[in-house]
Amino acid sequence: MKIHGTHQIHAPVDRVFAALIDPQILQRCIPGCESLERTAENTYVATMKAGVGAVKGTFKGNVRLEDIRSPSHYRMLVDGKGGPGFVKGTGEFDLSGNGGVTDIAYTGDMQVGGVIAGVGQRMIEAAAKMLAAKFFTELEKQLNPNDAQR
Amino acid sequence: MIPASFDYKRANSLDEALSLLAQNEDARILAGGHSLIPAMKLRLTQPSLLVDIARIKDLSYIREEDGQIRIGAATTHYQIESSELLKQICPLLPACAAHIGDVQVRNKGTIGGSVAHADPAGDWPAAVLALNAELVVASKNGERTIKADEFFVDLLTTALEPGDILREIRIAKTNGQSAHAYTKMAHPASGFAVVGVAANLTLNASGGCERASIGITGVSAKAYRAGAVESALAGAALNEQTIANAAAHATDGIDVNGDLFASADYRRHLAVVYTRRAIEAAIKSVPPA
Repeated sequence: MKIHGTHQIHAPVDRVFAALIDPQILQRCIPGCESLERTAENTYVATMKAGVGAVKGTFKGNVRLEDIRSPSHYRMLVDGKGGPGFVKGTGEFDLSGNGGVTDIAYTGDMQVGGVIAGVGQRMIEAAAKMLAAKFFTELEKQLNPNDAQR
Repeated sequence: MIPASFDYKRANSLDEALSLLAQNEDARILAGGHSLIPAMKLRLTQPSLLVDIARIKDLSYIREEDGQIRIGAATTHYQIESSELLKQICPLLPACAAHIGDVQVRNKGTIGGSVAHADPAGDWPAAVLALNAELVVASKNGERTIKADEFFVDLLTTALEPGDILREIRIAKTNGQSAHAYTKMAHPASGFAVVGVAANLTLNASGGCERASIGITGVSAKAYRAGAVESALAGAALNEQTIANAAAHATDGIDVNGDLFASADYRRHLAVVYTRRAIEAAIKSVPPA
């Protein structure tokens, strides 16, 4: 499954890029992320309790960042397993700054398998979009903590 | 498959159900169980306690009161499908119920359960939106009413808070000539709506459209009101051209989902076709004056 989208963050591109590769900030932004530990250069192991509505599962997986070209581009590789199934995918993030505003364009290619893919197939795309929106809303909050409306 | 272990308590009253819910934040309400139990059997959800409200007598009814139609949340799809009262005064509800799943599902599944679950392809959300329903929610802190437009928040997500129980669905009876229809392309295996369109039109004396309310399900992360279709129909004469022009706006401003069965482009196309058919069917349902 391919997903893509753009999101605007009200912060300069340098700050946004730094946040996107900062494990502490990522842990707070990734919906349901319980831990994100660095195991090697740009490699992390993550535990997340991800879900939508009543449907929830605990996933454990590896996250690796590649092709880091600060402050405009990086690639994220995710490989996770959990009770309801497995997720494997890559995502490309492209940032472009315009004064105090940064546009993030992302494209992802994900494979989802197991029970969640069998019965949840018709909802996976909507769930992925919802989790992505939550991620960026939280990122905005982390970067602009005093601006409650955003 | 076999679900993870859980406790089960049957509530005999709404108050009892509310206090059971308040004691365990991991508890889930069980009504018909036709969405929750399959998810539990696949261990997609593992509540530690089920609070069964299906046998609470005063949660299952269909009646007219104060110019409103009032339906208890635990009323089954079949009770609505077969209600003579509703066939007369709000035919969209029985028409929509008849499209849900199969006979077994309709005999057990409830309108409140379906609305509260907010499956993106559930049938009821489309009808509830098109009828401008109000949803009455009970909680420990008293009762409140949420408009259908504000109830569906996102995928499987509603305005219900933990500890809330959806108690009643209220629909204002309309004056004037209403025309209702529900059209649906069902997924051949699951029966869920690939696209489902509920049309609720108010006709004027000359047979034109005074007001239109269109609810669409299956297309996006949540069911929605097709506002652009509604405004194109409002005040318009109803002919092949005006209907087709209005229906063309079925997915305006909507983030359309794709899946293995139907791509986003195909769904967008279906939404337009089924919106047109729903409007046409609604008009046809009105006997000539």
